[in-house]
Amino acid sequence: MQPIVHDDRDVRGPSRRTLLTGAAGLAGLGLLTLTGCSSGAAAGTAALPEAAVTGATRAGGRLRVARPAASAAETLDSASSLSAYEYLGALYNRLVRLDEQGTTVPDLAEEWSANADGTEWTFRLRRGVRFHDGARFTADDAIASIRHILDEATASPQAGVLGEVMDASSMTAVDPHTLRFALTKPNAEFPSLLTAYQCYIVPAGAVADIGRTGIGTGPFRLSSFTPAGAGSVEAFEDHFAGRPTLDGIDFFSVQDTTARVNALLAGQVDLISQTNLDFATARVVAASDRATIARSTNAQWYTIPMLATSDEFADPRVRQAMKLAYDPRTIVDTALQGTGAPGWDNPVPPQLAAFVDEHREHDPDKARALLRAAGAEGLRTSIYTSSYESVFTPMAVAYRDAVADAGIRLTIRNASADSYYTQIWMQKPLMVSYWFTGRPIDQLLNQIFRTGSSYNESAWSNPTFDTLLDDARAEMDDAKRRTLYQDAQRLVVEDGADMTPMFGDRLVGLSRDVVNYSEYGFEFDWLRIGLRR
Amino acid sequence: MNVLVPALRRLGIAVLTVVLASLFVFLAVQALPGDVAQQLLGQNATPEAVQQLRATLGLDENVWLRYLQWLAGAAHGDFGTSLVSGEPVAPTLLTAFRNSMLIALPAMLVGVTLSLALGVLAGVRRGRATDRIVSTVSLLVMSVPEFMVATVLVLLFAIGLPVFPAVVLRGSDATVAELLPTVWLPIVVLTLAMAAYILRTARSSTIDVMASEFVTTAELKGLTMRRVVWKHALPSALLPTLNVIALNVAWLLGGVVVVENVFNYPGMGKLMLESVSNRDLPTIEAIALLSALVYVVCNLAADLVALALDPKLRTRQRRTRTRPVRSTRKAHA
Repeated sequence: MQPIVHDDRDVRGPSRRTLLTGAAGLAGLGLLTLTGCSSGAAAGTAALPEAAVTGATRAGGRLRVARPAASAAETLDSASSLSAYEYLGALYNRLVRLDEQGTTVPDLAEEWSANADGTEWTFRLRRGVRFHDGARFTADDAIASIRHILDEATASPQAGVLGEVMDASSMTAVDPHTLRFALTKPNAEFPSLLTAYQCYIVPAGAVADIGRTGIGTGPFRLSSFTPAGAGSVEAFEDHFAGRPTLDGIDFFSVQDTTARVNALLAGQVDLISQTNLDFATARVVAASDRATIARSTNAQWYTIPMLATSDEFADPRVRQAMKLAYDPRTIVDTALQGTGAPGWDNPVPPQLAAFVDEHREHDPDKARALLRAAGAEGLRTSIYTSSYESVFTPMAVAYRDAVADAGIRLTIRNASADSYYTQIWMQKPLMVSYWFTGRPIDQLLNQIFRTGSSYNESAWSNPTFDTLLDDARAEMDDAKRRTLYQDAQRLVVEDGADMTPMFGDRLVGLSRDVVNYSEYGFEFDWLRIGLRR
Repeated sequence: MNVLVPALRRLGIAVLTVVLASLFVFLAVQALPGDVAQQLLGQNATPEAVQQLRATLGLDENVWLRYLQWLAGAAHGDFGTSLVSGEPVAPTLLTAFRNSMLIALPAMLVGVTLSLALGVLAGVRRGRATDRIVSTVSLLVMSVPEFMVATVLVLLFAIGLPVFPAVVLRGSDATVAELLPTVWLPIVVLTLAMAAYILRTARSSTIDVMASEFVTTAELKGLTMRRVVWKHALPSALLPTLNVIALNVAWLLGGVVVVENVFNYPGMGKLMLESVSNRDLPTIEAIALLSALVYVVCNLAADLVALALDPKLRTRQRRTRTRPVRSTRKAHA
């Protein structure tokens, strides 16, 4: 599972899957009522719960998780792009992590500071932390882990991000609990780059075979692991933040979404990870006696990239018209049935501290005028979608209908989910796509919007924007830096080529016995999650 | 001699079929967009990452060359290693095939027996209540796709009444003992899915035979109905049904993709789905080879049984006195 990327579940047999889910939903609606399974409210009208149950848990117990494994090539090496995502947070810790507002907070590092121009960062590391094999955690382990990410042979997705400001020789252990980074260029947001889920810390001596051993400092230690198969982790008594609530977790690979839902409804598993359930299925789950739904707020960031290098969208006026022509609130209402927030083409999730809370106008007449000025009145083109994600097609249809007022005529084209991200993405002028939210502000803007970045899905290039990002990195004053990020957001809204119609809540299926489920971005609270007393 | 020549010819055709199947599957995989590296990396497939992974997997070599090497290896019984997991293909495939057998063989035994019995019964009692019930039910079962049947059964017997597990959780690691509680629902689904077709063919061919002259003769001779059916009608009625049985059995043994997927059942169908979506050529080719082999063997078996049941087929080349009743009728139809 590559969470930074997409849920892989739909890559395998898309159209059939949609069909299956639909059928399961339909059958479920009828049969659950028939067999007296539904609890009170009819399945079709049940509201989706907002948050997971919190409160007292029973001590111990095992949680059973059904996960969509990416492939038999998956590994426990967090630096790899083929990592088995669910295990990582249970097994390992990073130096730093993100809180819900996107602020960098301590994990294995207790505090950090920089010199005046942000080129030298010193991290003071937590003392008395032990790895699962009993070894003490020191600065050398952190250095080895980060070198492993930078190593070309690892081909880590985070290598480019870190490699821009540092290399393997940038790190020194001042003493066993002090780690110093001498960066190649100033970066005021450097600690946030270490919050990525590729940056987990492993013992220096275990880097070579970490993909199988999974030795870390996390709340659980590995007891078994099979790529694309089953695996288990057990509570680690010596975890520095205390023992986790659960005794252990069993992970099972279930590739088909319907099968995962069936396993949950039949009581074979307690949680379905990395799966955004479609509305029909979510209602069936919420109406059942055994299971319910929890939302991971704004976890899905939906985008409509316009390829800035294409004939259609090279003109900034056309791109602006494409935005002015629609009201994202209608898209949220139709495509997400209200389970999300309008994006107003600002890619920064509303929960982040750096989010600029102002939105552009919705003005179809102005859009029409802009198109006329650009010589593109009555623009006709195709918008590509796929069954890769259940919201894609509803979103494409809602967008098409919304922009019709401005005289824009879009034809929906459905592409195979199997090759959507190899044949359509970054190749067709207009398509729908999504990311998982969870990137810190600096990485989000640099990775997806900066000129020439390999994840810049709209191929947008704006020198002013790039300069703003550079200025922000050189600005050590937090308030001033935030202002620069806000200017950058305004520029994306105004001139950018990647539209953000909305942020969607992830609809997570879990058993009614699960207590204290909490997940945002790439952070999962494995320490506190437990089972009902 | 007479039997040997057609048998050898069939064997030759069989080998050719298997090799051609492997070639066509290879071409089909080439026609699919993306390779292993791109499929595995998804949106993380930056040019550098793809190149790195390709080098690791040895994909830089010419793809035709890799296919020929694989084919040469396969001829010697070496099916190569999976591009995704790095494990040898043969043991993985054999485990998956064994798991598929675990649901396919019982489904086949029950399905074929049940459907033949009911089909002949319905055919003999054509137009009566028994026939109407059997025909209607089989038509119904045939019209509902098997994933729907599977979903309904899961809802009834795993979720509503938790008698059976809904899915196999342990995946390809599961031992036979671990699989046993989970095989029942897939078996029922497969039995229903295949039985309906065989039943309807058996019924219509029984009706055909019962209306033919030799059965009328046998009846006029004063034989009991039981004797007419068992001794005269049944062998002739089975002939056209044989090929339908062969196809259904091959379909079952080849791993049933949709059914296995719904139950997360670690059989050959699921392995095929995964390897195709990952473009794992050695695994896909090995599966194609095994499936082609299963089809060829099933059809060969059907032909041999037909040979045994019908002397006309054995001797058609030398004798010409066969009455062309059927073909004439068809020509006029």
